[in-house]
Amino acid sequence: MLALEDLRVARGGRTLLQGIDARFAPGTFTALLGANGVGKSSLLAAMCGVLRPAAGRVLLDGCDVATLAARERAQRIALVEPTEPVLGAMTVEDAIAAARFPYHRWWEWQPTGADAAALAAALDATELTALRAREVGTLSAGERQRVWIAVALAQNARVIALDEPTTHLDLRFAVETLTLLRRLADAGAIVIAVLHMLEEAAAFADRVVVLGEERILADGAPAAACTPEVLRAAYGIAIDVDERDGELTFRRKTKRPAEESAGRDRPVGSD
Amino acid sequence: MPVAALVALAVGGTAIAPAALLTALLHPASHTDAATIVWSLRVPRIAIAATVGAALALAGTLLQALLRNPLIDPYITGVSSGAGAAIAIGVTAGVALAAIPALGFVAGLATAVLVAVLARRGSGLDPERLILAGVSISALMSALIALALTRMGHGNASEAIIAWLAGSLSGRGWPELAAAAPYALAGAALGIATIPALNVVRVGERRAATLGVDVVRLQWTVLAAAALLTAAAVALAGLLGFVGLIVPHLARRMMGTDLRVGVPAALLIGAALVIVADALSRALFAPLEIPLGVLLAFVGVPAFLYLYLRGAARAYA
Repeated sequence: MLALEDLRVARGGRTLLQGIDARFAPGTFTALLGANGVGKSSLLAAMCGVLRPAAGRVLLDGCDVATLAARERAQRIALVEPTEPVLGAMTVEDAIAAARFPYHRWWEWQPTGADAAALAAALDATELTALRAREVGTLSAGERQRVWIAVALAQNARVIALDEPTTHLDLRFAVETLTLLRRLADAGAIVIAVLHMLEEAAAFADRVVVLGEERILADGAPAAACTPEVLRAAYGIAIDVDERDGELTFRRKTKRPAEESAGRDRPVGSD
Repeated sequence: MPVAALVALAVGGTAIAPAALLTALLHPASHTDAATIVWSLRVPRIAIAATVGAALALAGTLLQALLRNPLIDPYITGVSSGAGAAIAIGVTAGVALAAIPALGFVAGLATAVLVAVLARRGSGLDPERLILAGVSISALMSALIALALTRMGHGNASEAIIAWLAGSLSGRGWPELAAAAPYALAGAALGIATIPALNVVRVGERRAATLGVDVVRLQWTVLAAAALLTAAAVALAGLLGFVGLIVPHLARRMMGTDLRVGVPAALLIGAALVIVADALSRALFAPLEIPLGVLLAFVGVPAFLYLYLRGAARAYA
């Protein structure tokens, strides 16, 4: 169980989120939604122990994540963030093999059988086996994104947190990545992903947390959390929500909110 | 490297024929001229050249990998300029020439600590600040060296300083090596222990942190290792440019960016390069010796430009 207790997240001295209480159980896939700059990535980083919370605690199975040694944390929590520059001359295989670092003591330099198995499974799950000898710097943005997801898989961590994992991916790989994350959750992992596509969140996640200014606007099953009122409060635009045969579809209204809401009350959930 | 060492044994102020060299090597106790030259002059000098070359190559490789910047060389730590300034001032103040290496070593490490303190951000090091602090402090120390030389005028002392600044192994022997070796070995041990973590840093510093690398500890360990290695090299050979800059490039070009093979390659190339350069400096205009640093710069600058323009820097682009 991953638990956030009265968490306050700040960047550059500015509080983004505060009073955040949430629990994430094994076997769940949670989507974090919200407008740009609301603090989704920072919350994810704080959950993973990469960003120190301004206040409150993150507990993994009762253990404060901040007190874990770096290697111990990496064995339990994997974080996939948007791509940062990578050394051009590193192969896909080398990059994924780096995920096995936390399982080695400092004098153990050679890969073990478990490393080889984790590497092969990660390559297979992300369909990168054919590209294993390619240099990461020569890959497309989408292929590189799959490499970072493969790195997270090879970590064999119980918590897998992903910041916009489907960015740069084409439609097929986006769906396959989300299906893979769903499978990992079904196998007992705690999967938490920042997503921008509401349809993706509704179709694959079993829980949606919508973030607004400094707080959680809604937290629950997709149909309960993704209401027009909540989405309007989160994104500042009107979004229609339809549910048919248990499937949610979202349609953005073309009118600008200032024109549309003139003279009306503020929407539910925005205060 | 063994080939380089053999060549270096044979050449010098007095050329030694292969047969005489073999005899001298196999019979160290014999009192021939060749045995004396080989065992009391050339073997220690080759050992020192190998130590200096390997130390600078390792320091450069570690720092370039940590900072992911191909233009970093070990002198960014401030070790050389600090040592140079202390020696220039020390000689001006009348410190005995025999104390020069020790003075350089201590001052070099002290300057490295100063640069590290300036480069601190939070509990870790800021790569940009490290480069800025290293370059600024080096410029300040260079000004101190120039000032000391100006005040001293011409004479034996200033010539000694200039020779030291140009880099040379002249007159160094076993005692100097024995004094510097523990620091070089400590630096090498620290540095080599960081290789698995530095390999992970290839995927990016932030991502490495999520993969279990304690980045702050890694930064301080690499800086300490590089400072120890560079200080030992500076104490032995004065200021030798380019070894710590070019050898990591050569090693990466030959072996790729995996430091498990890159570091051994860099150690061997660095050692061989300085052994050969030192042999050339002794042999080219014997009995005159060209300062080793000058020779390395003449070879090093064109080699560096060639490599850089050919795209060797792509590895860290």
